[in-house]
Amino acid sequence: MKFAKIIFIIFALFPFYLSAETAEEQGLRIAKASYENGRGYTDMVSDQLMILIDPKGNEVTREVSAKTLENLDPNDGDKSLTYFKTPKDVEGTVMLSHTHISDDDDQWLYLPALGRVKRISSSNKSGAFMGSEVAFEDFSGTDYRKYEWKFLGEEMENNETFYKLESYPNYENSGYSKRISLIDNLNRTYKVDFYDRKGELLKTLYLEDYVLYKDKIWMANTMKVENIQNKNITIFKWLNRELDVGINKKDFEKSSILRLAD
Amino acid sequence: MNLEDRIEIFGKILVNHRIKVILGSLLIIFTISFGMKFLETPSGYRGFVEEDFKYYKDVLDLEEKYGNIDVLTFVVKPEKGNIFQKDVLSLIHELTEISWQTPYSSRVSSLTNHQYTTVDGDDISISDFVDNVDSLSTNEIANLYSAAVLEDAVVNFVMSESGKIGLVNINLEMPEDIAFQEPISFAWEQKNYFEDRYEDIFVGVAGSAQFSHNFQSTSESDASKMYPSFLLLIIILTYILLRSVVASIISLIVIILSILPSLGAAGWLGFEVQPPLITAPIIILTISLTHAIHMLSIGLTNMTEGMTKNDAIIESLKINFVPIFLTSFTTAAGIAGINFGDIPAYSEMANTVVIGAGIGFILSVTMLPAMFSLLPINSRKRKSYVLEALKNLGELIYKFKERFVIVITAICIAVFSLLPNLHFDDYFSTYFDRVPEWLEVKNTVDPEFGSSFYIFSDMQSNEPDGITNPEYLKKLDEFESWLLTQPEVADVSTISDVIKTLHKNMNGGLDEYYAIPDNKALIAQYLLLYEFSVPYGMDLKNQMTADKSDSRILIRTNNSTSMESVAFNARVDEWVNENISPFSTNGVAGIPIMMPQLFVENTRGLVIGLLISFTFIIMVVGISLQSFRYGIISIVPNIIPFVLGFGLLTLATDMVTAAHQFAVLISIGLVVDATIHFLSKYKKALAINLPPREAIQYCFRFVGYPIIVASICLFSGFLFLTQSMFYYNFIIGGMCALIIMIALLIDLLLLPALLLIFGKKV
Repeated sequence: MKFAKIIFIIFALFPFYLSAETAEEQGLRIAKASYENGRGYTDMVSDQLMILIDPKGNEVTREVSAKTLENLDPNDGDKSLTYFKTPKDVEGTVMLSHTHISDDDDQWLYLPALGRVKRISSSNKSGAFMGSEVAFEDFSGTDYRKYEWKFLGEEMENNETFYKLESYPNYENSGYSKRISLIDNLNRTYKVDFYDRKGELLKTLYLEDYVLYKDKIWMANTMKVENIQNKNITIFKWLNRELDVGINKKDFEKSSILRLAD
Repeated sequence: MNLEDRIEIFGKILVNHRIKVILGSLLIIFTISFGMKFLETPSGYRGFVEEDFKYYKDVLDLEEKYGNIDVLTFVVKPEKGNIFQKDVLSLIHELTEISWQTPYSSRVSSLTNHQYTTVDGDDISISDFVDNVDSLSTNEIANLYSAAVLEDAVVNFVMSESGKIGLVNINLEMPEDIAFQEPISFAWEQKNYFEDRYEDIFVGVAGSAQFSHNFQSTSESDASKMYPSFLLLIIILTYILLRSVVASIISLIVIILSILPSLGAAGWLGFEVQPPLITAPIIILTISLTHAIHMLSIGLTNMTEGMTKNDAIIESLKINFVPIFLTSFTTAAGIAGINFGDIPAYSEMANTVVIGAGIGFILSVTMLPAMFSLLPINSRKRKSYVLEALKNLGELIYKFKERFVIVITAICIAVFSLLPNLHFDDYFSTYFDRVPEWLEVKNTVDPEFGSSFYIFSDMQSNEPDGITNPEYLKKLDEFESWLLTQPEVADVSTISDVIKTLHKNMNGGLDEYYAIPDNKALIAQYLLLYEFSVPYGMDLKNQMTADKSDSRILIRTNNSTSMESVAFNARVDEWVNENISPFSTNGVAGIPIMMPQLFVENTRGLVIGLLISFTFIIMVVGISLQSFRYGIISIVPNIIPFVLGFGLLTLATDMVTAAHQFAVLISIGLVVDATIHFLSKYKKALAINLPPREAIQYCFRFVGYPIIVASICLFSGFLFLTQSMFYYNFIIGGMCALIIMIALLIDLLLLPALLLIFGKKV
């Protein structure tokens, strides 16, 4: 009889479980919305400036241009081509990368001075990108599916209300223990705090200069990363960003970058 | 009115207002003592140098470019065999993972997370050298050694060449003014945890962070272990010497009250509790004790001869005021000479002792007589075996004065001939050899790795992206090759090693490509590729500047003496001057360069300090005795203890370290005390027209016992310092104790003979 009672109670309470969204579900929902907010194009081209500023204020600027192909397959990541322009010695270097949700990314690099394409497989890409404060995983890891999410509540900053989300990387070898993101009511990410492996605040990312493309896609054209621990700053700027210019999908295939070596 | 009358009036005022004197003194003492709150935690080896010391600035410049130089290292050594065993690798793997949790850590490197590149044609695969230990077969594990030993970045950096020891290196980015307490506590927790879990594997904590922390931990353990037992020793000693419980209590109160405000003043002045400062209270205590013994023993003697308590202490004050003042003054003058050295921690110690000597003097002539007058004191007559023996000694010296002088001179000349065996030098790496845990780690690491210390150099190409210039890399390589020929260098790591490895890996992993390519663009592209593939905390930021104009050279050193390091530094500068152009560098920097240079500068300063202090003391003695002749005579018994002391030192070592030099400055002012007492009494005896033979007996009767007692107090105090965990404190204690004992013998045996021969005229 007791057993039946318990079953009854469980069934009686069940509807509540269904209606109440947990913090995890709410977090995932917002993260997903935010991610999708920046999607919905087929391809994109842009020039990028990367400015490295050391604690003394010395600046170094690097230039690249990039093409990105959005992957419509929900179980796989985007493809991108990066052309390095400065410093002069790396001009003509091209990187093709196929990101994946669960597997390691595929990466090919064409080195003009060597005249060859090298395939690099590395399971651990949490290191700094070109001497900057941005890690490779910060780029390849924008996909919400690479994290576990949790909604922490709402927070005021600069007279604006943000959703505050916590996320934990669910892939191995991440340089982070967690991230705290602030997302505005248009689902645009405003700020992300990165915590290192020992749980200390490592760096803060600010996303600025949001531009609305195609009336539906919000993209930040400035990204600023302040490393709290080593006091370095990196600024990324997107210039001449264009969407849906009609790039040939074949450009993103391994065979096309291999042709560069011929 | 002469001085004695003034002192008598002063004594009477003291006795009449004894309560006010005691309370007033207490109030002032506690106010000053309050400053102890502000004593600063030691900043490790960095507190050992002046902030504007050239060789420290070199380190700071380097840190500004490439990050903090401090490293915390786990040393892993299995009891049997090498580290290529399943459990040892598991331990290293786990320890590496947990090391990321170390407070203030920025990088962790070990054999397991070493980024290992395998090449298959144009496919390059980069992964952790050891990842899943459990999945490896015994055979695979055994094969790892032959792969590891070929990796530049592994051998001598995270694994010894023999494979017997593995290291986990943690780079620390410490904020300014934060001590290593937190990372060290974390490391020791891990050490204990892993040693518990893996019984046959030794895990030790090393690196410059532990070295630096030793300054703090030895200060703490010295203070907590040495002070209580030292107090006990003092209580026993005063009771034996005074045979009066109340008198012992008085002396104990006075000496403690002279320590507290000294440390308080040290706090107000912002001094750090470095290991040298720990010796200050013991030295102050011993000096104050000798004052108290002089005052009390004469006071007690006067009482047994029938004086009232107040008269007895006023009479004692009359006899002792000037000698106590003079001896405090000479002690302070000697120790103050340490300020000519270049080690702030020792200057702070010296200045604390100087303050303590001043306070000790004031309390001995104010609070002590007031308490003596206030408290109930009984005195028993002492048996005078000592006086009897001294009397016989006096007779003996009178009879054989020439022989005494000749024999002692002969001994001195014999010992003097040993002195050329000594030379100025030291090993900074021995500072903590008396800390068992540190010594164990050192003895594990040093035979396999040379030492646990690094030095650094920074080579500038003088243009953005200049480090990808093949000429630059070849020069770097040349510098590295030259460095490797130096005996002080165990291994070298440069960015050119990275480029050579990349070149090899980009060309199918063929060994013939392990070289610097002749194409600047190619090198730049290699670096770009490399930067894409490194994991968190393994980038090249600690090896090159963001604009790629300069790169850092990492040098693992062998243990060398200070003089060897200084000579090495000079050879580096010479090589650099002749060969480095068109590139530039500021030479080498790091703890193994800074500490030896500090030693040299410090020695130079201390020699000057010693000359000034010694001249000053001799002048004070001459002036106070109002005799040039006695001034000259006093030099002899004050130099011989040092000659003999250092002569005997040759039996133990040939090195005169900074600690030995400090010992001279600390003891010089104490050694003259006995001479002052003796000479002043001898002069007084001649003044009342005693013949020389009687005059010597007069001296022995009046100052013989106090000189012996004072020397015993000082000897015990310094001998006590030899318990210190800090090697320099140990040496200072031993040397001072030795010198003071020799000085006592010389004052009792040679000085009377000299006075009998040369001191006839006033």
